[in-house]
Amino acid sequence: MPASLERGAGGERAFAARLLDPDCAAPRGLRVPAGGSADRRFSVYRNNVAVGLVATLAARFPVCRRLVGDAFFDAMASLFALQSPPRSAVMSAYGEGFPAFVAEFPPACGLPYLADVARLEVALGRAYHAADAEPLGPAAFGRFPQGAWGELVVGLHPSVNLVASPHAIVSLWETNTRDATVRPVAVAQAEDALVVRPHLAAAVSVLPPGGHAFLSALATGVPLARAAEEAAARVPAFDLAANLVILFRSGVAATARIGAAPL
Amino acid sequence: MQPPTMPPIPNPARPNGHGRVPARAGAGLKPEHYAEIVETRPDLGFFEIHAENYMGAGGPPLAWLTRIREAYPLSLHGVGLSIGGEGPLDAAHLDRLRELNRRFEPGLFSEHLAWSTHEGKYFNDLLPLPYNADTLARVVMHIDQVQTRLGRTMLLENPASYAEFEASTISEVDFLAEIAARSGCGLLLDVSNVYISGINNGRDPGAYLDAFPMRHVGEIHLSGYAEDEDGGIPLLIDAHVARVSDPVWPYYRRALARCGPVPTLIEWDNDVPAWAVLHADVRRADAVLREAAGLSDHARVA
Amino acid sequence: MRNNLTPHLIAATALATAFSAALTVAASADDKPTEKCYGVALKGQNDCAAGAGTSCAGTSKKNYQGNAWKLVPKGTCEATVTPTGKGSLSPVASR
Repeated sequence: MPASLERGAGGERAFAARLLDPDCAAPRGLRVPAGGSADRRFSVYRNNVAVGLVATLAARFPVCRRLVGDAFFDAMASLFALQSPPRSAVMSAYGEGFPAFVAEFPPACGLPYLADVARLEVALGRAYHAADAEPLGPAAFGRFPQGAWGELVVGLHPSVNLVASPHAIVSLWETNTRDATVRPVAVAQAEDALVVRPHLAAAVSVLPPGGHAFLSALATGVPLARAAEEAAARVPAFDLAANLVILFRSGVAATARIGAAPL
Repeated sequence: MQPPTMPPIPNPARPNGHGRVPARAGAGLKPEHYAEIVETRPDLGFFEIHAENYMGAGGPPLAWLTRIREAYPLSLHGVGLSIGGEGPLDAAHLDRLRELNRRFEPGLFSEHLAWSTHEGKYFNDLLPLPYNADTLARVVMHIDQVQTRLGRTMLLENPASYAEFEASTISEVDFLAEIAARSGCGLLLDVSNVYISGINNGRDPGAYLDAFPMRHVGEIHLSGYAEDEDGGIPLLIDAHVARVSDPVWPYYRRALARCGPVPTLIEWDNDVPAWAVLHADVRRADAVLREAAGLSDHARVA
Repeated sequence: MRNNLTPHLIAATALATAFSAALTVAASADDKPTEKCYGVALKGQNDCAAGAGTSCAGTSKKNYQGNAWKLVPKGTCEATVTPTGKGSLSPVASR
């Protein structure tokens, strides 16, 4: 072994450290028999890592990217990727920490809704890959005796994801997803988002008043009457009937039982 | 010399297990093509998936794959196991591979001679390792663990590389041959990678193929690279971004002349084209495979 | 918990009325075929390709250095956000 070869040269540690540091030259111990530059060759790997991670984030947060523009987003995503590289080989799960990063990212502080839009896009990705389950429709709910309605314990569909926001995140998401030319959105309007994928298509909608509190309470396993009480206590404008329509027909529910008895 | 046709002895590179993948050309399965494939049922030998893209709990990817698997043989290609890595294999990731293997019964399972994870960080890229006694022992140990956990043999793919290591003491071909001999795994011969690495590192792709242990080859990969340069020297990038590059085809024929017809994948991962464009390259590879089979038959008769 | 300390905000009869009405509304709307298709296919993000070649797109130093940040958002945010979001100097709320 050549004397110039430092201990561990060719090892992962030096290689890995330099992949995430654009200021570093190539690690020692690389050889380019064809006569090129080791730095240039190493930059292929480093560039591929950076471009790959940014592309993953761009695919998961397309609305955030459209809101701030490609250049701003890609640079912001590069910083996030360097700071928080994936911890798993399953890339569809990468980016869960991105909304928190965006919330604390000074150059984006003029867009206070951006982090919540990112949370909505995280929710969409989770819903897309969530476990499958047959949703429960109004017919199933209608079979319970009226006296038991308040005691129903509802299991939410595995794809249900809720995002509460003081900003109009669903309207922002919709126009930036569907419209070639975006329409104006009054961003100060609070919108609580429901994301659900009852079969194979994910749907995003705005919950009626108190819906976030109501569904969150149901998700903890409390019976329907108590979930309604909790929502009404937290949100004076809570609209029970509107929220029950959501519960019965949007594919939000996967199971329902009276107390401990299965459906 | 190698016989021009498949050896008659049992061969771990060509298992007889469920969902056997035929010695025809196949395509990488891309979400952009799901609907058209299900609707039109194109004629091809098999589809190959990147295992990690089907590791969610449910949803559209698994639903589409289930439908497509009903109609086609499947090859499962892992890109994130880090078999060449210094650290231990990720047991949770091995379990996910095992579950996919159980659920979809792929005829082939392959991974890379590369690493992608270091101390818990996953780089989402196939990174290179030196070839020496230490790394050989490590890779063989990891392959043993994979084959034991999955209960099947795997194929190991030769990488595309942009540089070599001073710490390497064994040629890549000898390294792969020794891995196959010690672990019992088969090999996935990526002919595009052979060409890319050859050009990038100033080595003769033909000599590489002539020395390759063809009896272990259970699958071939072909793809289109991107061209760049490094101070006036050509630098080829394994971009999977175009039709199979023209210079690769003669080397594909040269490989088939030695190993006989084997399942051949057309890889196209970036700038994914219309299905018809990808399928055209699949048919082109199929024609070369038929030609090789004819030559093999002729050689056998002679 | 709160439930035991506060009076009931929703009477049992109100719950029954709302439940009943919601069943009717949901059942009448339920024949609309929703979510039956596969929907959009998200791109799988694991591949074994070297992305954008050797261009400096991913390794440009200035893109990595937060303290030298000069980029400003230039997407749809100006066109779509009214009236309070645009140009707001309020610090980012962290939730």
